[in-house]
Amino acid sequence: MNEHSITATEEQEKWLADAQNVVKQQSFYMRKALDSSNLREALKYSAQMLVELRTSKLSPQKYYELYMQTFDELRHLEAFFQEESKRGRSNADLYELVQHAGNILPRLYLLITVGSVYIRSKEAPAKDILKDLVEMSRGVQHPIRGLFLRSYLSQISKDKLPDTGSDYEGEGGTIHDAVEFVLQNFTEMNKLWVRMQHQGSAKDKADREKREKERSELRDLVGKNLLVLSQLEGVDLELYKSTVLPRVLEQVVNCKDEIAQGYLMDCIIQVFPDEYHLQTLETLLAACPQLQPKVDIKSTMAGLMERLANYAAANSQVLSVFAEVEAFEKLSTAVATVVEAQVDMPLVSAVSLHVALLNFVLRCHADRLDYVDSVLGSCVKMLAGQGKIREAKSVKAIVALLSEPLAQYGDVVTVLQLGHYGQLMATLEFETNKVMAVLVIQSILKNGTRIGDCARVEALFQLLQELIRDGEDAPPVDQLDQEDFAEEQNLVARLLHVLVNDDPEEQFKILSAARKQFGLGGPRRLVFTLPPLVVESLKLVRRLQARGEVEEGGVTPKKVFQFLHQTVEALANVPAPELAFRLYLLCAEAASDCDLEPIAYEFFTQAFILYEEDIADSKAQVTALQLMTGTLQRTVVFGTENRDTLTHKATGYSAKLLKKPDQCRAVYNCSHLFWQDQEKGTRDGERVLLCLKRALRIANAAQQQANATRGSGGPVTLFVEILNKYLYHFDKGNQQVTTTVLQGLLELISTEVNSESAVQDPATEAFYASTLKHISFQKQKGGEAGDRYEAIKVQ
Amino acid sequence: MNYLIGLAGPPCTVNITFADGDTRKTTTVKKENGTTELVALFSGQETVAGEVQIDPLPGKKVEHTGIKIELLGQIELYFDRGNFYDFTSLVRELDVPGEIKDRKTFGFEFSNVEMQYESYNGVNVRLRYILKVTISRSYAANIVKEKDFWVRNMSPPPEINNSIKMEVGIEDCLHIEFEYSKAKYHLKDVIVGKIYFLLVRIKIKHMELEIRRRESTGSGPNTYNESETLAKYEIMDGAPVRGESIPIRLFLSPYDLTPTYRNINNKFSVKYYINLVLVDEEERRYFKQQEITMLRLE
Amino acid sequence: MVLVLALGDLHIPHRAPDLPPKFKQMLVPGKIQHILSPGNLCIKEVQDYLKGLCSDVHIVKGEYDEVQNYPEHKVLTIGGFKLGICHGHQVVPWGDVESLAMLQRQLDVDILITGHTHQFKAYKHQGRLMINPGSATGAYSSITYDVNPSFVLMDIDGQRVVVYVYELVNGEVKVDKIDFRKPPPQANES
Repeated sequence: MNEHSITATEEQEKWLADAQNVVKQQSFYMRKALDSSNLREALKYSAQMLVELRTSKLSPQKYYELYMQTFDELRHLEAFFQEESKRGRSNADLYELVQHAGNILPRLYLLITVGSVYIRSKEAPAKDILKDLVEMSRGVQHPIRGLFLRSYLSQISKDKLPDTGSDYEGEGGTIHDAVEFVLQNFTEMNKLWVRMQHQGSAKDKADREKREKERSELRDLVGKNLLVLSQLEGVDLELYKSTVLPRVLEQVVNCKDEIAQGYLMDCIIQVFPDEYHLQTLETLLAACPQLQPKVDIKSTMAGLMERLANYAAANSQVLSVFAEVEAFEKLSTAVATVVEAQVDMPLVSAVSLHVALLNFVLRCHADRLDYVDSVLGSCVKMLAGQGKIREAKSVKAIVALLSEPLAQYGDVVTVLQLGHYGQLMATLEFETNKVMAVLVIQSILKNGTRIGDCARVEALFQLLQELIRDGEDAPPVDQLDQEDFAEEQNLVARLLHVLVNDDPEEQFKILSAARKQFGLGGPRRLVFTLPPLVVESLKLVRRLQARGEVEEGGVTPKKVFQFLHQTVEALANVPAPELAFRLYLLCAEAASDCDLEPIAYEFFTQAFILYEEDIADSKAQVTALQLMTGTLQRTVVFGTENRDTLTHKATGYSAKLLKKPDQCRAVYNCSHLFWQDQEKGTRDGERVLLCLKRALRIANAAQQQANATRGSGGPVTLFVEILNKYLYHFDKGNQQVTTTVLQGLLELISTEVNSESAVQDPATEAFYASTLKHISFQKQKGGEAGDRYEAIKVQ
Repeated sequence: MNYLIGLAGPPCTVNITFADGDTRKTTTVKKENGTTELVALFSGQETVAGEVQIDPLPGKKVEHTGIKIELLGQIELYFDRGNFYDFTSLVRELDVPGEIKDRKTFGFEFSNVEMQYESYNGVNVRLRYILKVTISRSYAANIVKEKDFWVRNMSPPPEINNSIKMEVGIEDCLHIEFEYSKAKYHLKDVIVGKIYFLLVRIKIKHMELEIRRRESTGSGPNTYNESETLAKYEIMDGAPVRGESIPIRLFLSPYDLTPTYRNINNKFSVKYYINLVLVDEEERRYFKQQEITMLRLE
Repeated sequence: MVLVLALGDLHIPHRAPDLPPKFKQMLVPGKIQHILSPGNLCIKEVQDYLKGLCSDVHIVKGEYDEVQNYPEHKVLTIGGFKLGICHGHQVVPWGDVESLAMLQRQLDVDILITGHTHQFKAYKHQGRLMINPGSATGAYSSITYDVNPSFVLMDIDGQRVVVYVYELVNGEVKVDKIDFRKPPPQANES
C-alpha cells in the first residue's frame, strides 16, 4: 500500500516534469516568435504550450503547478497582444484569429487572453466580451480543466468588470452585467466541482476519499467567485438581496452536493458583510433546511449566529436592527425547521444548533429571558420521546445549554424563571443531571444568590432532583462513590442557607417545602440535609421571638418547634443518634430561650432517650454528657421539678461513665448545674458541694484503681482539676465551699505530688503550680474576695 | 510527343497575357505536381481579352498554316484520364497561314463568355478553363500553348436560410439536440450553433465538428464518391451531464472550401457536410452528418 | 515574625454555606505560617481548604467535626509562646472565663484559643492571653445571638504578639488590634 502510493507520487512528479518541459520549450519558441512579432508563429506555439493543459493524468495539485506555469507564460502573450493592439491591429480580428485553433482548451485560454486585451481597449463593450467568454467556456466540461479555465477567466476579468465606478462602466455595461457574469461563472464552476464527485466509483471508499480530498483542494477556486462578488462596489444591499444571494443560494441548493453546500454556505457567511446577513436572514436561513442531510449545517448556522453576535457586540447600535428584522425569531424558526427537515441529523448537531442559538441570544438579547426559554423549549420539544439522552456529545451539548444561562446571569433566580430549564435537565440521565445540579448549586453559592420565594425554591428543587432523591434511573445509593455522594449532599446542605426570606411566613413555607423534598431522599441523605434545616428553623425561631405577637394562623415558635421535633426525630430514626442528640439540645436551648418549658423539657427528654438507647460508645458518651451538662447549665426555663428530674439524670449518667477519670470530670461539670449566674438561675450550694465531693470520691477511687493496676502514681491531675472547681465555686461565693475544705484539698494534693511513690508528671506539676499562682493572684486582688482568699494557706 | 518537341525545341516562344493582367485579381492554384501557381481570376460573363505574343527564337522562323486561340472549359475525370470533356469551346483565328520571323502580337477578345461553372480542383475531377493557342504547321507538329485561368461565380444571398435543428440519439444511452443557425453558408461564414444534452449515459471524452466534402463523379454504376475532411474542430472537452448546452462557433475562413456544386454538367457534384462527432472514453465515435450548402456570396 | 491564623466554628454546611467571600479573598495561600483551629469545621472539605492555605494546620475536635481523629486539645510552641487550642464545649459553663482559665492553667499555655460560643473574645487574664476567634462564617449559635463572622490573625514576634481581629460587620471588614507581651517569668513567682 505504502509502496504503491510512493510510486503514484513519483509518477505524478514525472508527468508533471514532462509537461513542464514541454511548456518550457513551447513557450521559448512562443517568446521568440513574439520577439520577432510573428503573430502566427506565436499563436501556434502558445497553442502547443497550452495543449499540455489537456492532460488528464495530473492530480489537482500538480495540475495547479502546471497551470501557474502557463499562466505566467500567457502574460507575455497578453503583453504582445496589447502591443499589437497599439500598433493598430484590430482586437476583433485577433479575437477571431485565435478561435481558429482546433483544440478547444488552448483556444479558450487564448480567447480569454485576447479578451482581456480587447476589454481593456474598449473597442467593444466589456459586457459583451465577458458574456461571450463565459459562454464559450462551456465547451470545457472536464471538471478539473474546466475549473482551471474558468478560474483563469475569473482571474483575468476581475479588474475588468463593469462595476459601479469602474473604468468599464457605462459603454462597457453596468453592475448588473458584472454580477451576471460572475454569477454565471460561479454557477458553472460549482457544477464542475460537484461533478468531480461523480467520477469514478462511488462504492470504493479509498477512491471516494481521494476524490473528496482532491475536491477540497479545489474548493477555493469556486469560492473565489463569491469573494469577487463581495468585492464589487456596486453590490449594495439592494442588489445583494434581489439578485446575488438568491442566485447563489439557488445554485447551492440545486447542486445537491454536501461538500459544496457546506463550503459555500460558510463562504457566503464569511465573505459578505454582517449587515447584509442581518437584512437577508430569511432568505439565507430558508436555504438551510433544503440542504443535503449530511451537510454540517449546524456548524454553518452556528458560524452565522456567532458572526451576528460578534457584530452586535462590536456595534451596539445595530441591536435595534436585530429587533427590527426579528433576527432571533428567524434564527429560531430556522433551527426548528432544519432539525425537522433533516431527519437524519445527528442528535448532537441538533442540540448544538440550539447551543449556538442560545449563545446568540445571550450575546445579543441577554435581557430577553423569554428568548432564552424559548430556545430551551425548542430543544425540549425536539428531544421529546427520546428518553434519557446518553450519547456523550449530545449530553455535553445539553449541559452547555444549561450552563450558559447560569454563567451568563450568574444568578439562579433568573434561571429559575426559565420554565423549560428543568424539563431540559430532565432529559439528562442520572449522572449528568447530577453534575448539572451540582453546577447549579455551585453557581448559586459562588454568586451569593439568595432565593427567597417558595415557588422558586420548589422550582429549584425540581432541578436538583437527582441530588435530593433517588431517581428512576439512579443506581442504588450504596453503589455510589461515597466521597462524591458526601460532597454532593454537603452542597445541598450548604444551599439550604441561601433559601431565605425576611418574611417568616414565607421562610417557614420554604423550610417546609425543603423538608418535604429532603424527606424523599432516604436516610442516607437525611444525615446531610436535615441538620441545616434544623439550624435554619432555629434561626427562624429567633426571628419570631423578635417579632412578638402574630395574627392567627401565622407561624409561631411553637409551630416551628413542632416542625423541628419531627425533623430531628427523623434524623434520630435514620439512625444518627449523636447528631440528633446534639440537635435536640440545640432545640431545647432555643425553646428555653423562648420560655417554652414543656417544649424544652420534651427536647431534653428526647436527648436523654437517645443517650440511653443509642449512644453506646464511651467516648461519645463523654462528649454527649459534656454537651448535655453545658446546655442544661444554661437553661433557666425549668421549674424545680423538671429541673430536678433533668439534673438528676445528668449527674446519674455522669457517674456511670465507663472510665473513672471521665466519671470524675463529668460529675464535677455537673456541679455547675446547681449554680447558675443567670437572673433566674438556681444557686444550690449544697448540691454543688455534693457534686464536688462525689467527684473527689471518684478521683480517689480512680487513684486506687490506678495504683492497683500500674503500681505507680495515679491521676493527681484529677485532684488539681477538682481543686480548681472548688476554687471556682469558692470564688462564686458558694458558702458551702469553705476555706477548710480547700485547705484539706490543697494538703491532699501537696502530699500526693510530693509522695515518693508519685511519678514525676511535669504537666500536673505545672498545672498545680499555675493553680497556686492563681490563688495568689486572687489574694492580690484585695477587697472582699481577696480577704476570703487570704485565709487559704499555700505552702 | 511533348518530349520530342522539347527535345527539338520549339522555334518560338508563345506568351499569352490578359489585357488587364496588372490589375486583375489572381488566385493561388495547386498544380498536379504539388507546386502552386498564381492564375488570373474571372467570373462568368466576363470578357476574356488579351494578347498573344509570338517570339521566334533568334535566327528561326515559324512557318504556319494558321494561328488560333481557343477558350476551353474542360472537365477532366481522373479515373478516365485523358478524356477531356469540353463544355465550352470558343475559337478566334489570330492569323492566316504565313511565316513569322519577328515578334508578332495578336490581340484577342472573347466577349461576355458564358462560364457558368467554377474552376475546381478535386480529388477525382477537375474543372478548368484555359486559353489555348495553336500554331498549326503542315510538316511539323503544331505549336500549342495553354494558359489556365480561374473562374469563380458569385451567387446572391439565399432568400430562405433555415436553421438546422435535430434531435438524435441512441436509445437510453445518448440523446442530444443540435442546432445550427443556418443551412447555407458563405465561404467566410461562421457556423454558430448549440448542442443540448438531453441524456448522457456514455462517458464522452470530447466532441468535435468536422467539415466534410463529398465529391461525386461519374454516373450510374460508375459513380465515384470521394469524401474529404477539411476541418476538425474540437468543440467540447470532457463529459457533459444532462441539461448542459455547448456552444458552437466555427469560423470557415481558414478552410479551403468551394461552393456546393450540385450537378456540374452531369459529370460531377461537390457537397458539404457538417459532421458532429462524439468520442467516448473507449474511442467509440458517434456522429451525425448534416448537409450544408456552401455559397460564394457577392 | 510569624503569622498565625486562628479560626473556627465554621459549621459548614450545617449552619453556613461557606466562608464569607471577603474573607476568602483575604485568606490567600502562602502568607500564613500556621493555622490553629478550635474545631467545628464540620466537614473534611473545610480542612482541605485550610490545608490549601498553609501546610501547618492544627485542629482540635469540635462536637460536630466529621473527622474523628482530631485531639480534644493541643499544645504547641510558636516563637516565645506556648499556645493551647481547645474547642470549648468540654468546658462548662460554656465560654466562662474562670472555667477557661482553669483549662489554661491545666494546659499551662500563654495563649489559649477556644471557640464554641461564636463570639469573638481576646483578653488578658492573669498575665495570659485568651482568644476566641468567633465563628469564621458567623454561624448560628445557641449561646450568642447575632453572630458576626470573625477570625483572628496573630503576628508573633518572639515574646510579643499582635492580635488582629477581623470581623465582618454589615458586609464590611473591621480590624481590631490587641498587643500582648509575655510577662517575664520571675514576675509570676512572687
